[in-house]
Amino acid sequence: MTDSGTGTIADGGRGVEHGDGTARTAGGDGGGDLAVHLDNITKRFPGVVANDRVDLRVERGTVHALLGENGAGKTTLMNVLYGLYQPEGGRVVVDGQERAFDSPRDAIDAGVGMIHQHFMLVDTMTVAENIALGNEPRKWFGLAVDRERIDREIRDLCDRYGFDVDPGATVADLSVGAQQRVEILKALYRGADVLILDEPTAVLTPQEVEGLYSVLEELTEQGKTIIFITHKLGEATHAADEITVLRDGESVGTVDPTATTQEELAEYMVGREVLLEADVEPRENGDVVLSTDDIVVEDEREVEVVSGIDLEVHSGEILGIAGVDGNGQGQLIEAITGLRTPDEGTITFDGEEVTDWSRRERIDAGMAYIPEDRHEQGLVMSFDLVENGVLGSQRSAEFANGGRIDWASVRDHTEDIIETYDVRPPDADADAVSLSGGNQQKFIVGREFERDPDLVVATHPTRGVDIGSTEFIHDRLLELREEGVAVLLVSSKLDEVQSLSDRLAVIYEGEFVDVTDPDEITEEELGLLMAGEHPSERHEPTDTVATGDRGDAE
Amino acid sequence: MAAGPTTEVRPMRERLPLPDSTYMQAVLLGGVIVTLLFLLFASPSTHTATLRLAVPIALAAIGGIFAEKSGVINIGIEGLLIVSAFTGVIVTFWLGSGESTLFVSHHWWGMLAGVIASTLFALVFAVVCIEFKADQIIAGLAVWLIALGLAPFVSRIVFGSPNTDTVGTFDNVTVPVLSELPLVGYLLFDTPPQVWLMLISAVLGWYLLSRTSFGRWVVASGENPKALDTAGVDVRKVRYTAVLLSGVFAGLGGAGFALGQLGTFAGGGETDIQGRGFIAIATYLFANYHPIGALGGSFLFAGLDAIQIRLQAAGYAVPTELIRTIPYVTVIVVLVFVGKTRLPDAAGENYESGED
Repeated sequence: MTDSGTGTIADGGRGVEHGDGTARTAGGDGGGDLAVHLDNITKRFPGVVANDRVDLRVERGTVHALLGENGAGKTTLMNVLYGLYQPEGGRVVVDGQERAFDSPRDAIDAGVGMIHQHFMLVDTMTVAENIALGNEPRKWFGLAVDRERIDREIRDLCDRYGFDVDPGATVADLSVGAQQRVEILKALYRGADVLILDEPTAVLTPQEVEGLYSVLEELTEQGKTIIFITHKLGEATHAADEITVLRDGESVGTVDPTATTQEELAEYMVGREVLLEADVEPRENGDVVLSTDDIVVEDEREVEVVSGIDLEVHSGEILGIAGVDGNGQGQLIEAITGLRTPDEGTITFDGEEVTDWSRRERIDAGMAYIPEDRHEQGLVMSFDLVENGVLGSQRSAEFANGGRIDWASVRDHTEDIIETYDVRPPDADADAVSLSGGNQQKFIVGREFERDPDLVVATHPTRGVDIGSTEFIHDRLLELREEGVAVLLVSSKLDEVQSLSDRLAVIYEGEFVDVTDPDEITEEELGLLMAGEHPSERHEPTDTVATGDRGDAE
Repeated sequence: MAAGPTTEVRPMRERLPLPDSTYMQAVLLGGVIVTLLFLLFASPSTHTATLRLAVPIALAAIGGIFAEKSGVINIGIEGLLIVSAFTGVIVTFWLGSGESTLFVSHHWWGMLAGVIASTLFALVFAVVCIEFKADQIIAGLAVWLIALGLAPFVSRIVFGSPNTDTVGTFDNVTVPVLSELPLVGYLLFDTPPQVWLMLISAVLGWYLLSRTSFGRWVVASGENPKALDTAGVDVRKVRYTAVLLSGVFAGLGGAGFALGQLGTFAGGGETDIQGRGFIAIATYLFANYHPIGALGGSFLFAGLDAIQIRLQAAGYAVPTELIRTIPYVTVIVVLVFVGKTRLPDAAGENYESGED
């Protein structure tokens, strides 16, 4: 463990609380200039202690990362600071003053702003309308919104922090990165001095992440204080001045990122040693399991979103598709899995043309699918796990007998999934909605992997999943690959597609811009490809066609 | 009006209550043409009948816009029209029609009572939907069905018949000199007061929705209530206010129609309201939630109604039932072929603060 920096690992935080903790705030700020001090916070939910006497000290003008796995209590702690939750114990101290926030309004008034993981923006309204929402300056004795003033104030903020945002643009037309800047502006507009960012990089491209880092730098230079929640180690060490690690609702301690390693941090987070890089053994390719020929898909607005994609996935191979969300990968996957009919082209699976097959026929033929949106497509949230466990197999002979479902065997199957995939809480009767996102995901992954498939189509299989579970899902994917299953993997996490894939296709505006060997491409090059730019002739110009014969490991 | 390349239309709509899409501009253009033809070829009495028949539709539509924009679909608006029309008539009857109290005609007191009754019904609906998280469609249907039963029931107790006695209508408000003007004279300056209430409400509704902070909160509450909540605005308050507003506007429409046009209220069958509240819903969908567009749409449907009445008076037997399907057919055609009416994202969903 590290002794350097501000390291107070394990029991350190607890030891400090009575003596130092109280003395410090009673006498103002004590040593450092603390913008935020969460002192000994306890927050309980029915059956769970989400925060157990957590201590967090954030110095003014710094970036402070709150690192932990899903369910470690990071978001709960920040919701306490933002007034969404009221703690059962402990004190919230902002600017050296003890506060009791009953609602976000109180927190906003005290200069605390939060940028949620899912942006709190009204898509149909303009940037200016969103930024001022709830805080509109008025004119004519309060009878009208002073729109000129809003525009002016937004321009001033943009100038000051170097943002480039058009106040008149409609939010729905903006990229995700720009929407995030709108969220940040919204907080600044409300006079926030402390900004909480919840998993800010989850939806960004690598370039946008860089952009965010420089925004954070600019903000702290101007005296703002940033707390950002993350479960990504790289982000924490890269962007933060200090890192506080939470595990199981308790604070493990605060460390200086320059004085620690990612392995060490991972160990604090998980409580055991973790293998950060999935170890992929190159292997021989088998037969072609899935191939598509010149697939064209139009979306609901009749805009062509997939423009002639050819791909092949071999047995025992993982083909990764990297790309920024919304470049046609979703529609491509839906066409392959049978949720959407392609407008042109054919799909062949296990040697048979399946273009017109229904979803059910494809499931029966051995095509497993981990959908992108677990709430919309993966689970029925109001069903319990037993009911969810049989979804997709409700007609298979294993579980059904002439239209009647054999619930006893479904229950056994579900309990197997729960045990094997470490779904918590291990309760087959729990409703899907009561599980955390990561556990929902593990359950879906388990259900799909246990279908005994020939092909697994996995879309963002570890989205929102903590590193412990991610490691497990990756291992299972690789095991399936060893067993000769073909895997089509779509992910916006670059390290994931890069480390798991045998071949990596980059999709941009409905076409594959490149198909490469993931080991021979850097993250920067990938980021550029994902943004539609070919890096300067890195290797021989490639066709945009994915055939199985190039790029794979010899 | 809507002419010129789109680049020049844009700054114009910053200031003017003009709809923003080319679809709405096409509808507007069509509306202008139809209006001109109608003004040229229909008789003045049909013109004035159109204005008066538009009152319940337009006002109910404006009210419906507020409720639905805030995320609460109020299909009980038909019931609000019935309640306010009936209350207006019966209170005027009780006070004594043709007399006044505190220098104000009893028709106006009846009007006030109608608006209050409708707003109270809207409040019950709001409590059921917002507080108890009932399904908005079911609750709305209940409001309609209760009104449908309650009005003839009370009428039977008071008058011994589902139809009330006659109380007469508002006098026309006639502006000297101006009423002599061609067309606008008899349309606007020699007209019963509820017509003016309708016109003012449409402009007021548009202003409230698009220019005040409350209007923005209403829109945000219907599109993404969580965004509004985290911005520190109480979604419940916004929705309550919007639903109550729908009660006030519908109340003006129902009572204005009964006291300004009918002078009595027949509570049998589908009552004198005759589904105008449902036509109002079709109207605001047709107008894409634009209050002034809804006013125009109500003219279209009221005009058809007026023409149909004229045709029947002239001895042509056009089945009323067929005419009354026109608004719905129009809406279906619009939705199928243009598909531009987009419901607010969170319309129909109950919102609970703090839920994750």
